[in-house]
Amino acid sequence: MSDAVPERDPTTTDAGVALDNITVEFSGVTALEDVSLSVDEGEFFTLVGPSGCGKTTTLRAVAGFEEPATGEVHIDGGRVTDLAPERRDVGVVFQHYALFPHMTVRENVAYGLRFRDPPGGVADDERVDELLSLVDMAGMGEREPEQLSGGQQQRIALARALAPGPDVLLLDEPLSALDARLRERLRVTIREIQQELGITTIYVTHDQSEALAISDRVAVVSGGRIEQVAPPETVYREPQSRFVAEFVGENNLFDGEVTATAPPRATVDGVEIALPESAAVDTGDSVALCVRPEVLSLGENDTASNATTLTATVEHREFLGDAYRVHCSWNGRSLLVKTDSREPPEGTVTLTVDTDDIHLLSDSGR
Amino acid sequence: MNVRRWGERLAVPTAFVLTVAILAVVFYYPVLSVLREAVVRAGSLTAAPLVDVLGDPFYTGVAHHLFTAPLSIPAGVLDWIRAGFPSVEFGLFGFTAFQAFLSTLASVVVGLPGAYLLARFEFRGRRTLRSLTILPFVLPSIMVAVGFLAMFGQNGLLNDILGALGLGQVNLLFTLEIIVLAHAFYNAPLVTRLVTTAWESVDARRVETARALGAGPFRAFRDIVVPQLLPALLTAALLTFVFTFLSFPIVLALGGLRLATVEVWLYARVQDLELAEAATLGTIETVLSLALTYLYLRYEARQTTTGGGTTLPRRALAVGWKTLRDPVRIGLAVYGVGVLVLFVGPLVSMIVESVTGPNGLTGAYYEFLLNQQATTAAGTTKPLPAIANSLAFGVGTLALAVPMGIVVSVMVTRGGTGSRLAETLMSAPLAVSGVVVGLGLLQTLVFGTTIAGYRVTAGGALAIVVAHAVAAYPFVTRNVTPALAGIDSQLVDSARSLGASRFRTLLDVELPLVWTAVLAGGAFAFAISIGEFDTTVLLAEGVESYTMPVALERYIGNRSLGPSLGPATAMGTVLLLVTAASFLVIERLGGRWEP
Repeated sequence: MSDAVPERDPTTTDAGVALDNITVEFSGVTALEDVSLSVDEGEFFTLVGPSGCGKTTTLRAVAGFEEPATGEVHIDGGRVTDLAPERRDVGVVFQHYALFPHMTVRENVAYGLRFRDPPGGVADDERVDELLSLVDMAGMGEREPEQLSGGQQQRIALARALAPGPDVLLLDEPLSALDARLRERLRVTIREIQQELGITTIYVTHDQSEALAISDRVAVVSGGRIEQVAPPETVYREPQSRFVAEFVGENNLFDGEVTATAPPRATVDGVEIALPESAAVDTGDSVALCVRPEVLSLGENDTASNATTLTATVEHREFLGDAYRVHCSWNGRSLLVKTDSREPPEGTVTLTVDTDDIHLLSDSGR
Repeated sequence: MNVRRWGERLAVPTAFVLTVAILAVVFYYPVLSVLREAVVRAGSLTAAPLVDVLGDPFYTGVAHHLFTAPLSIPAGVLDWIRAGFPSVEFGLFGFTAFQAFLSTLASVVVGLPGAYLLARFEFRGRRTLRSLTILPFVLPSIMVAVGFLAMFGQNGLLNDILGALGLGQVNLLFTLEIIVLAHAFYNAPLVTRLVTTAWESVDARRVETARALGAGPFRAFRDIVVPQLLPALLTAALLTFVFTFLSFPIVLALGGLRLATVEVWLYARVQDLELAEAATLGTIETVLSLALTYLYLRYEARQTTTGGGTTLPRRALAVGWKTLRDPVRIGLAVYGVGVLVLFVGPLVSMIVESVTGPNGLTGAYYEFLLNQQATTAAGTTKPLPAIANSLAFGVGTLALAVPMGIVVSVMVTRGGTGSRLAETLMSAPLAVSGVVVGLGLLQTLVFGTTIAGYRVTAGGALAIVVAHAVAAYPFVTRNVTPALAGIDSQLVDSARSLGASRFRTLLDVELPLVWTAVLAGGAFAFAISIGEFDTTVLLAEGVESYTMPVALERYIGNRSLGPSLGPATAMGTVLLLVTAASFLVIERLGGRWEP
């Protein structure tokens, strides 16, 4: 009989996953607007953003759980836009593990093997054992899911998703239900397994530090759009928009106006601040200056020419263990400083920032 | 592989189409044919039969002027006022609405204190009592009528007790009071259930906030609790009105033609083979009940439940000697006695009557159930075939209603257009009386009908089983839908991404997780089939297809064993055992019946 459901189209790109101009709407509300992404083969790619930004919707569009209104989805170069989820060869891990409660651990991990053509028999059993070892859960096959801790359940969910040998691994906030310490341990495990298998992986999280720690590249998502796609260091040091600057890590943002170009300078609330030599600006431009709390140094009077000095007042200090967070006020604005000094000064202080540590948002970061 | 994939892909849609087809053939087509009969004469559209009925003072009482001479109404009203407001006749429809109104009132009066008791007091057996409030839904109404005869009849338990106490006799038989009481037996538990649930969902923190802001206990009750109870009370009252407006076996058995309602009169017309008049009557009744149901659904849809929060604390019901000094607790004790008489009385009387004769204990009536097998006289109603038929139809209904119910649940929980269609499909049978469905089936499938050039007849057992399935599957759906909806959608997504088709996911993941709900729904379906009377009584013919409820109704009329209800009570007790067993299954598995 003829099969009207299209098989994968022949290779059109060599990306592991590609989204071309995807738009997803939920009863008239646009959840994703014209999103295009390309994830390399074997890459660990993270979508990060606040809740409701569209990152999970993006993942679900790749898995086939959401049908895009427009646009195309490609996996391993083949077009899968019209394929049902069960025919896309993706492995999915959810936040709440989603283990089948009426099946043992072994049956859970083996479930996806039932649909391989031809079914494997003994080979299936071996495959399950292999995966249980991979996630460090060997010998737990006969347990019921409810007998396992959250972290163990998530390992089993990972094993289950990997068992059929998917082309892409999709992880939707897999660590959000776990406590902080376990989260950090398990994210290392996930990264190691991903490296070992070399599997293309898309990871969704709202936790920017997790995103920075685990990924090859990060996409910052906001309001159904992609704000920036770059390696973690670039996203952190050179945010492309005000949203990225404020969402990823902490930042002090100042709006200023360019007053000179050689060397470039700007005024913020009447105070002159030197800009990096490389800044491509014209006199009269509005600019936004990003200054990370840790690049502001507290109390040291750096007299080097390429530094700007501000006089501020310390409002209060928070002790973080390895550092202090110092809330200052400068010119009626609050300013955040992070210092590893053992005893940061109080009262009126001098803040110094190296000109090259100031990042400029083009277009005022709109 | 492709064939299998296509099969799995098409399984649910195919089953849904089949379900819709069954509904179309056994429900929509027959009911529409009744409506057609009422407005089409000799191939052309006419309002004449409707006007005949509506303009007949027998049916509509004083309102018939509206249809015969609307212009004379103002003068008529003036005459009536000048004559000093003489009593006015409201006809059959008026009486039906009047008894439904009284029944609703009685159900609310009997049901509300029960909600107060269950929601605000803690005592041994509270949970059991709460789950017992579903029991009336599965008790066959004709059996309850037998219980009421055994309790309140001429030779009933009540009169026996009153006689023994030297207090004389009461005769409630063939009075409006006994009909209203029997309706309260059915619907007061519904009031209790819905209001208790609403009461339990009142957030204690809100009441405490009101108290902290300065409201006294009564003000806090009036301002915080009452507004949350009223919607539930109104829902229950509207439903009770619809149910009692359409009530059939209770009025038939306890009121007879003297206190006939529209439904009973309709049945009598069918028995007299006045099918055209019956169709007209059925049409008017269906329009009225559809309008009432529409009102109910509109009202229900506007309600929002505010979940969460802390339930109001329960007080201990018995507090030692002080119990006797607390007027509220004494009031509840009196209420308890009344409830015992109304709810337990009829069932106990029926069982007692079934084993006592004029000369004390006897097994004669149960022997009679077996004995009559031997006699072959025409018109005798053999009990054993009735029991066998009921059980067989129950199993048949189960086999049909469970898949139908599951399919509709799956469509409802998947959302989209199919979901709305499925919900609408499900609500319609609720609003159409069993007698109208039975009449429609008689006129179409049983007497034969021509579909696409083929003469189709389906009578007796097959028609009954399918009709029962149509009445019963909504109960499966009501149980399975919330269970399916409660499954974490990530489980379904996981199975899909692992390679399972939508149908395989249903078989491998969803159904195994909701099997208790499926079983509870099945037990409901079985109980509905066992107790169904309204449609069955019109379709049952000969030995092959009459059921326990139908036999029961014949025994009430057949007093060949003296003025005794003996055979009827014996059969009723058998029916009670079977339905009580279904109830146990439902209760154990947490079955639900939410209108």
